[in-house]
Amino acid sequence: MSEFYIPKKSPYDPDELGHFGIFGGRYVPETLMPVLEELKRDYEAVRFDRDFWAEVDYYYKNYVGRPSSLYFAENLSKELNAKIYLKREDLNHTGAHKINHTVAQAILAKRLGKKKIIAETGAGQHGVATATVAALFGLECEIFMGAKDVARQELNVFRMKLLGAKVHAVQSGSKTLKDAMNDAIRHWVTNARDTFYVIGTVAGPHPYPMMIRDIQSIIGWEAKSQILKAEGRLPDKVIACIGGGSNAIGIFNHFLEDKEVECIGIEAGGLGLDSKHGASLAKGSPGVLHGQMSYLLQDEDGQILEAHSISAGLDYPGIGPEHAYLKEQGVVKYDNITDKEALDAFVWLSQKEGIIPAFESSHAVAYLKKMPKDEVEGRVILVNVSGRGDKDMIQAKEMLSFGGAE
Amino acid sequence: MKKLVAYITTGYPDLEFTVDLAKSLAEAGTDTLELGIPFSDPVADGPVIEKANLLSLKNGFKISQLFEVSAQIASDIDTLWMGYFNPFYHFGIDRFIEEANKSGVNGFIIPDLPFEEAKPYKAQMKEKSLALIDFIAPTDPKERISKIAKDADKFIYLVAYAGITGSGKSEELSSTISSIREFSNTPVYVGFGVNADTAKAKAKGVDGVIVGSAFVKILLDDSLSHTQKIEKISKMAKEIKEKINE
Repeated sequence: MSEFYIPKKSPYDPDELGHFGIFGGRYVPETLMPVLEELKRDYEAVRFDRDFWAEVDYYYKNYVGRPSSLYFAENLSKELNAKIYLKREDLNHTGAHKINHTVAQAILAKRLGKKKIIAETGAGQHGVATATVAALFGLECEIFMGAKDVARQELNVFRMKLLGAKVHAVQSGSKTLKDAMNDAIRHWVTNARDTFYVIGTVAGPHPYPMMIRDIQSIIGWEAKSQILKAEGRLPDKVIACIGGGSNAIGIFNHFLEDKEVECIGIEAGGLGLDSKHGASLAKGSPGVLHGQMSYLLQDEDGQILEAHSISAGLDYPGIGPEHAYLKEQGVVKYDNITDKEALDAFVWLSQKEGIIPAFESSHAVAYLKKMPKDEVEGRVILVNVSGRGDKDMIQAKEMLSFGGAE
Repeated sequence: MKKLVAYITTGYPDLEFTVDLAKSLAEAGTDTLELGIPFSDPVADGPVIEKANLLSLKNGFKISQLFEVSAQIASDIDTLWMGYFNPFYHFGIDRFIEEANKSGVNGFIIPDLPFEEAKPYKAQMKEKSLALIDFIAPTDPKERISKIAKDADKFIYLVAYAGITGSGKSEELSSTISSIREFSNTPVYVGFGVNADTAKAKAKGVDGVIVGSAFVKILLDDSLSHTQKIEKISKMAKEIKEKINE
């Protein structure tokens, strides 16, 4: 094993044009095609380049705080009669796994001589992580965020501004992540020549889904060696939440070829699958949005439907194309967790282990309780805690009551 | 004579209006009609066309209505369907091709379906005598222009600037145009940001212009009656057609 992380080729790599089976590809206005071609060439040049990843590694170790720890959750394990390990991406600088791909993308942007970066954000974690690296590397930064998310994640909006970024509240459509991405794409088309788009998940046109998967796969690369050290064996299950799917593919990727490991991605079940939700794999169908073909929530005319989740980061009607492919190939299992189950798990992990997870990550934690007992007892289970819950405090305070101080 | 292509959003304010406007635009000298299919997430469009899309959907626009309207329009004017790829894909390209042949529509403009992804569909459409219009942008290098231009049908949609529809931007296009001419005899029409004031300048060196936001802005003007909107848009179309041919 290399002393630091360098991506590896995957059997699920897309073809030359970015297709994972029928999914992925590049469905963008012509203006962006040369920009994507250039990015593809530039990324291929650094994909396995030691110098590039050594620079990334320097910031991971000294700035982000990697490797993130693998924590044996003793109290959860006792309660469930299993061995539960938590991959603590919540301990990263800025509080989530998003900093992994913003650091690497910013270093790439710098190499390409781009001085301006833009990003879309849902919960604000990716926006904060992008604003952070913009400050670090001296780049100009603009963040696009749905007006509804601006309201429910006001602390993150303030953090982005404090870091020196300009935040656009996007007023169109459902005023959430989908619309933020529309406006980020519009800004990118307009400023294609000098602006690097730091996409926040394994979605968008090729090469983004592959590039961000490669970058985030450091999570599973670390976790694999950490759990082998702790247990002397591979886990039975690896669980992660999915909005676009970056933390999930990040932890799954290094386990996909181990047949004895079951990878499980958890979509947002929202108010239930018969009501409003964000479960595009469970309830959607193939279609094209934001530059890629993947599963989408859409009506019979192909109009995109609004998603719903308690968690702004999962409130998205699509999903990364590689997940769509892994679902169709039966490589990864996908299930979902409702708002209520996620909120219960948010409290459960807080009070059992003293770890307050993000609402997004709470979906993955909740699945420990949703699985049938015989699937859990006696097993070694790895859960990706993709982010911390600090950003969700205001929303949580409105929904939970623990009585007054005594 | 230089050509005028007019974009209008189907179903706003209502379907009858769309038919009346199309016929009036034909009389005013419009050569080709881009009949826009409203979409929930029109990322290549600016705020004006986006608004018209969302309002039409709010009015309850359905794709089945597009087919009804098109059958009434396509006999009067060369008509193309313009829309984002997802409704075409989800509803079924085969069905769209069949309906186009049935109603006399001559082809498709799909701004988020670039050359590479378009290939299989373009061949399928060509078999049924339907064109899929290719886009060329000012960011395209010569090598890419040659690939796209060689294969282009009916006309090439030259994007006037890096950006979204209806912005005030402009870019020097002469080198892009001369690259296109090197590889293709297909007429070149320029679109994005063309209105009565800019049409003459934008038409320089090309064979036609595509006008969208300037018309849709009038479409959205609530202070005008239906008749006034149609008159105003048609008058503008006539003026633009004259200006580009001065």
